[in-house]
Amino acid sequence: MKFSVFQISRKGGREKNEDRMGYCYTKGSGLFLLADGMGGHPEGEVAAQMAMQVIAGLYQSQANPEIEDINAFFTTAILAAHRQILRYAAEKGLTDTPRTTLVAALVQGTSAHWVHCGDSRLYFVRSGELLARTRDHSYLEQRKRLKPDNQAPELTNRNVLYTCLGSPSRPEFEITGPVQLQQGDRILLCSDGLWGSLDDTDIVFHLGQKPVGAAVPDLVERALIKGGPRSDNVTVIAMEWETPDDFASTRESISTDNIDDGVFASTVQAGWVDSSLDDLDDAGIERSIAEINEAIRRTSARRS
Amino acid sequence: MSKVKPAPLPPDTVIGGYRIVRKVAAGGFGLVYLAIDSEGQQVAVKEYLPSSLATRASGELLPQVQPEKLSLYRLGLKSFFEEGRALAQISHPSVVSVLNFFRENETVYMVMNYLEGAALQDFIVTARDLKQSKVFRESTIRSLFDEILRGLRIVHQHKMLHLDIKPANIFITDDNKSVLIDFGAAREVLSKEGNFVRPMYTPGFAAPEMYRRDASMGPWTDIYAIGACIYACMQGYPPNEAPQRLEKDRIAIALARLRGVYSDNLIEVVEWCMSLDPLSRPQSVFALQKELSREGERRYTKLSVSEKVRMQFDTMVAETKKSVQAVAPSVTKPK
Repeated sequence: MKFSVFQISRKGGREKNEDRMGYCYTKGSGLFLLADGMGGHPEGEVAAQMAMQVIAGLYQSQANPEIEDINAFFTTAILAAHRQILRYAAEKGLTDTPRTTLVAALVQGTSAHWVHCGDSRLYFVRSGELLARTRDHSYLEQRKRLKPDNQAPELTNRNVLYTCLGSPSRPEFEITGPVQLQQGDRILLCSDGLWGSLDDTDIVFHLGQKPVGAAVPDLVERALIKGGPRSDNVTVIAMEWETPDDFASTRESISTDNIDDGVFASTVQAGWVDSSLDDLDDAGIERSIAEINEAIRRTSARRS
Repeated sequence: MSKVKPAPLPPDTVIGGYRIVRKVAAGGFGLVYLAIDSEGQQVAVKEYLPSSLATRASGELLPQVQPEKLSLYRLGLKSFFEEGRALAQISHPSVVSVLNFFRENETVYMVMNYLEGAALQDFIVTARDLKQSKVFRESTIRSLFDEILRGLRIVHQHKMLHLDIKPANIFITDDNKSVLIDFGAAREVLSKEGNFVRPMYTPGFAAPEMYRRDASMGPWTDIYAIGACIYACMQGYPPNEAPQRLEKDRIAIALARLRGVYSDNLIEVVEWCMSLDPLSRPQSVFALQKELSREGERRYTKLSVSEKVRMQFDTMVAETKKSVQAVAPSVTKPK
């Protein structure tokens, strides 16, 4: 498996950034995650972070090196993250629960699967064309879906969601896939800070223009400029699927072919939750040390 | 705050399979030792032991952390890990490499290549004391920073910034290689805004945006520091601090004095790197490398007589102002 990936999160005019993102991979599969902690409820960033950590943790234990039953994995992961957030709220005695959206993509073998809950989106682009996009769980998109010819959907606030992780009701989510991957296919996950400022056509066009490492920061910059001083936070993670080739690629991409069986690499870090809430515990210290040593091994393997 | 520094581990202590030879450095984060690994190789071992948060009695192994400082101690540990994470991903001769990371004595240790030589800072001090027109030869400056920029380019490719480049953090080894050290300030560009571990800055080398909270830092921030380092190699002294420059910028005048001594091109490169406006600087290391490695005849434009006179006059005025202020500090300026 070979892919290149780029992720970036930038704060707009908001007081804090409650978006979280990350990816992890094993020899046989890769998982890309993005969560947008919701405003209007307490500690959105905690909910987003928790969702990332719980799902990355489950992935680590189940991807050996592939996930056997992807639907079951997505379902368990979302519900586990949801319950973890509720538990946190109960333990802290919060009167309202922290909430977050979630979108996750899993690539494995030669196909992609994804799941989403809320209004963080996934765009699937092939040769400059939008093949698929998730439909937000907002009342606006629900109305559009039920009545495609509805003339006044704009009256409905696009930001009001009917489901998410962490709310008292069980989250609703949609699983899509398998979708066969071809060389050059791009999968982009983003928070509403991106699609709230840019049209789908803009997103698709710019995503296809350059390698993801250049296209993504470009898109985010555009969204922030267009959003102006009151712009929402913009978070994007995108990957480009590459077919393993015989010649060395000049771009910086990740090839999982040469890594060992039990290896798990992840950018989802314990250190992301607000530091005041998240003192490193012993397990966290051990995990950090193991991750650093794994990175040292990877780097020296690349050198030799 | 306790002013007693934590005692270093005694020589011949063995930690994580490394035998301590001696302490070689101490900083706010902890201590650095020269040690020998199991194969007899020299390594540098960095011990996390912030002197403001932890104490250690002489001859003891375990540090003492007061309970009320424990959470800060762990927070600092995170940035120590960040440094490890940053360096672990990079393998380049101009960037110090990390070999191992382990936990012992209730703290953590980072094992790095042991470098023999001296910091660029020491070379600058020695050279300027010779009191010659040039602190360093231009060709020396160019080749030194060519190497450093190769390393820095890799750092930026990993989406990290160094954020504390200064002559004390550029190490010249005895076999004449320059190596970027001390990534203690390096933060992943993309990591969330910290509420405690904000990057510290070194006056003179820190770009103006580092003083402003919330300002966007990027490769250009490290490039400012590179410009300031080249400046220090030419003048023998660090440039004025950025906030001072924002009030009255004397960098151009200071550089003009070097005309004829260093080529026009090198002087222009330094001015370019040290632009106060981040957007006016080279936006990437690559852009700077291209300019710095430009071959061809070097032009030297000496100051004309009138320029020299003007400059002297300028200095006189500045000094008179200073003395006037010193004599009459309470005089209010008419608006």
